[in-house]
Amino acid sequence: MGDVLVTQILIPQWQLIATTSWPVLITLAGFVIGLWVYRRSGNASPFHPLMIATPLIYLFLQWIELDFERYYAGSGLVNWLLGPATVALAVPLSQQLRQLPALFRPLSIALLAGGLFATLSALLMVKLFGLDDRILLSLAAKSVTSPIAIGLVQQIGGITSLLAVATMVTGLAGIIMAQTIFRITEVEDERWQGLILGVTAHAIGTAKAFETSPRCGAFATLGMGLNGIWTSLFLPVAVVYFIN
Amino acid sequence: MKKLLVGVLILVIFQWLGEFAAALLGINLPGQLLGMIFLLLVLSFNTSLLSWLESASSQLIRYIALLFVPVTTGAFFLAPAITGQFPKIVIILVVSTMLAQWFMGLIIKRVSNHSG
Repeated sequence: MGDVLVTQILIPQWQLIATTSWPVLITLAGFVIGLWVYRRSGNASPFHPLMIATPLIYLFLQWIELDFERYYAGSGLVNWLLGPATVALAVPLSQQLRQLPALFRPLSIALLAGGLFATLSALLMVKLFGLDDRILLSLAAKSVTSPIAIGLVQQIGGITSLLAVATMVTGLAGIIMAQTIFRITEVEDERWQGLILGVTAHAIGTAKAFETSPRCGAFATLGMGLNGIWTSLFLPVAVVYFIN
Repeated sequence: MKKLLVGVLILVIFQWLGEFAAALLGINLPGQLLGMIFLLLVLSFNTSLLSWLESASSQLIRYIALLFVPVTTGAFFLAPAITGQFPKIVIILVVSTMLAQWFMGLIIKRVSNHSG
């Protein structure tokens, strides 16, 4: 058992951290610029820090002729932090779960059905459009919050960079369409609006929900966290039916 | 500062616990997700750990977008076979998100009326 801990966990994690080198500064600088532009724009979603930082970094890497693999390995510490950040999601989730009992039944039904629908509808459309299995495995976790989704897609064998973009597009699309959908379906209660935003648009939806009210945000946090767990459970089983 | 460091250490320990359990039991889930579930279980019984974790977790979550920068940059380096499918992929993502929101709205209308 002790050797499993060392060879399968400690050494791989240490290698991830130990490859960290100067390219991590490119990541930090790109993010700081992205954050600055986002704040200056009054937190407008097209100016999300990732939308600004990633093309800038791409152009910079082209200019200094650094290939992506070396840049990615050099940012090891940042990539490693995704693990602790995933675990950290338990904290807001446990704080919100405490206030829940009265709504437990309707919330679980909406969450389980919604989470399943968000993923299966996408997988079905991937099939209808005739896209290949690698794309299917990469899009599978698109409505799950990125730290969980990245781990999940690594597990099932998708392309994490494609997933990362898919997650961003999903989140942005989710917050742009949500108000119209709330009007059509007549969902006026802020708590349920929050849940829908958290389940379908993960962290981007949750940030938007906090702009409506803390209560809306709290339900989005719940929706995002619980859907992350729920999707991780059914996804490995579901994809088996969709891949050739 | 002390709370921040202790908090990060607790998070890392739970991540290892999750990875260790996944490796030993051969569970088909990311180790860090199991770690998160373990921490959630512990916090539901023992809230005293919460005060040590608040600072580390809120800082990590606040700047979580930073952690996606390298992997998202990778999208610019994807093979043309994949980038050529981007229009279809965007349609799939937008439509499935819209359908899921609409579907959840319908369900919520139905179940929340019964329980007030």
